[in-house]
Amino acid sequence: MAGILSVSRVAKHFGGIVVLDGIDMEVGRGSIHQLIGPNGSGKTTLVNVITGLVRPDGGTITFDGTDITGMDLYETHEEGLVRTWQIPKPFRSLTVIENLLIPASNPGESFQNAPLKSRWRDGEQEAIDGALAVADTVGLAEKIDTRSMELSGGQMKLLELGRAMMSGAAMILMDEPIAGVNPTLAHEILEKVTEICKAQGITFLIIEHRLDISLRYVDGVFAIDKGVVIAEGGPDEVVNHPGVVESYLGA
Amino acid sequence: MAIFAVYVVVNLSLNMEFGYTGIPNFGKVLAVGGGAFVAAAVPGRIFAGMAGIEGDYIRDNIAVVSGVNAWLVDNTGIGFAVFFMTLGLAAAAGAGLGLITSYPVIRLRGDYLAITLLAFGESIRVVGNNFSPLVGGTLGVQVPDPLSFLPGEVRFPVATIGLVAIAACVYVYSERTMRSPLGRMLRAVRDDEVAAGALGKDTIRIRTRVIMVSAALAAIGGALYAFYAGGVIAFAYDRASWTFWPFLMILIGGLANNKGVLVGTLIFVTLRKVIIFHKDSLAPAVPFDVAWLDFLLLGVILLVVLLYRPQGIMVEKPTPTIPHGRGPLRSGARRAFDLLFR
Repeated sequence: MAGILSVSRVAKHFGGIVVLDGIDMEVGRGSIHQLIGPNGSGKTTLVNVITGLVRPDGGTITFDGTDITGMDLYETHEEGLVRTWQIPKPFRSLTVIENLLIPASNPGESFQNAPLKSRWRDGEQEAIDGALAVADTVGLAEKIDTRSMELSGGQMKLLELGRAMMSGAAMILMDEPIAGVNPTLAHEILEKVTEICKAQGITFLIIEHRLDISLRYVDGVFAIDKGVVIAEGGPDEVVNHPGVVESYLGA
Repeated sequence: MAIFAVYVVVNLSLNMEFGYTGIPNFGKVLAVGGGAFVAAAVPGRIFAGMAGIEGDYIRDNIAVVSGVNAWLVDNTGIGFAVFFMTLGLAAAAGAGLGLITSYPVIRLRGDYLAITLLAFGESIRVVGNNFSPLVGGTLGVQVPDPLSFLPGEVRFPVATIGLVAIAACVYVYSERTMRSPLGRMLRAVRDDEVAAGALGKDTIRIRTRVIMVSAALAAIGGALYAFYAGGVIAFAYDRASWTFWPFLMILIGGLANNKGVLVGTLIFVTLRKVIIFHKDSLAPAVPFDVAWLDFLLLGVILLVVLLYRPQGIMVEKPTPTIPHGRGPLRSGARRAFDLLFR
């Protein structure tokens, strides 16, 4: 399995606090990997660094053969990386379908083309068809005209997933997609992730603490602690790793 | 009505910036003043050169502009050509000013951005007052009237109709732009800039573009006002008239709703006329100069709106680009109701 994302010796510190202390990881194309670690171990920072929200202080990140180290947030999106947020960040005053249409790049987004409907109608129609299909997939078909601020917490998580799917990204990084979601919906979300992964060949890297729910869906697990990868491999292997048990799971 | 048209242009530009994109431009006066200064400095000199009128444009301004206006009676076509060229030039100058202001401040957010833009806005009046070759410093300059060929009594109504027509064009442009994928994207950037970035939007570039286009529109508004008033004097371009009042108008009308801009501007302009015409009758009742009533009452109105209807008279609503074809079909009457009242 060829790696789509490879992270090599990535470091990040905020002032004197070392958050990432030389992370190495390789994520295989079309797989679902989970990232675990105690609170404050650098999971979210790692995702932030990979997607370009913050710049790393050292190391290199390669995505699909391109060096994306130090790229801006929107540039990594152009390369095919998209992320979701631990605390959902919907565009609050936009409806669900408008939220889903944002990632679709459209010629009508420039000041030259926007007043001329003929320049963007076809692209928009295509995007709307895509958005409706995605709304069906993530189970928000009933809610397309609801403003996203009126959604429940779990629906916002589904919207996050939907927006990521609309990006046409090759890889989706999800920050706690099922935290605070009831078990039934959590299973549904992860089943959707698996379905999308299998059907469309999208790679997933998921930060999640709910091992009881998530482990059965993932192909591999990375455990990090204090900014270094302490264990990686299959789910069973990692949860039985002595370092992981000590720092994360508790005896 | 003419003032209404000018303010509609300025307010639409502010609404694009603040209502839709969330850029708190407390320096709106910069672009408005820039446009007015272009109208004051450029067309008069061009006409004077073409008509072969002697004299220093600033020192002998009144004589030169009177001569120009007399010449324009026989050269109407050139007058209009230069008028529209001036509007274009004002828009370009506005966009340039927008680019200059956005360059250092674009990475600032919220209050910091607002206060920096406010400072930029102050600069235009100071420059106009102290650099007399531009617009005559503290004495101001006259602006030639491209409608000089009309007899005096119809000139004013025709000018008003022209201004309203131009404002209508700006309204249509603004409305079409905001009901497009671009408008949707601007609202997304306003709601959550980081999330928009993560979905592939270059938010810095988008904000710069919005500031430029909005400044260009505001500059057109300023140039129109200069032509309408027939003269430009730097101290007329103060922060109250061209920054705070536009904010008040769009807050009354409702942010991110262009119909709200029309309603808010109409209410404001009417109220202000009423206050100005009738304040003297209140003179015995208030223990201060009635000249202050203008500001005081408008301040009270702003407070009332912010306390009791912070979303404005017309609330923001989703602006679908094209129908997605799902969901309940609404009757024609219902749609008309929604169009008018929602």
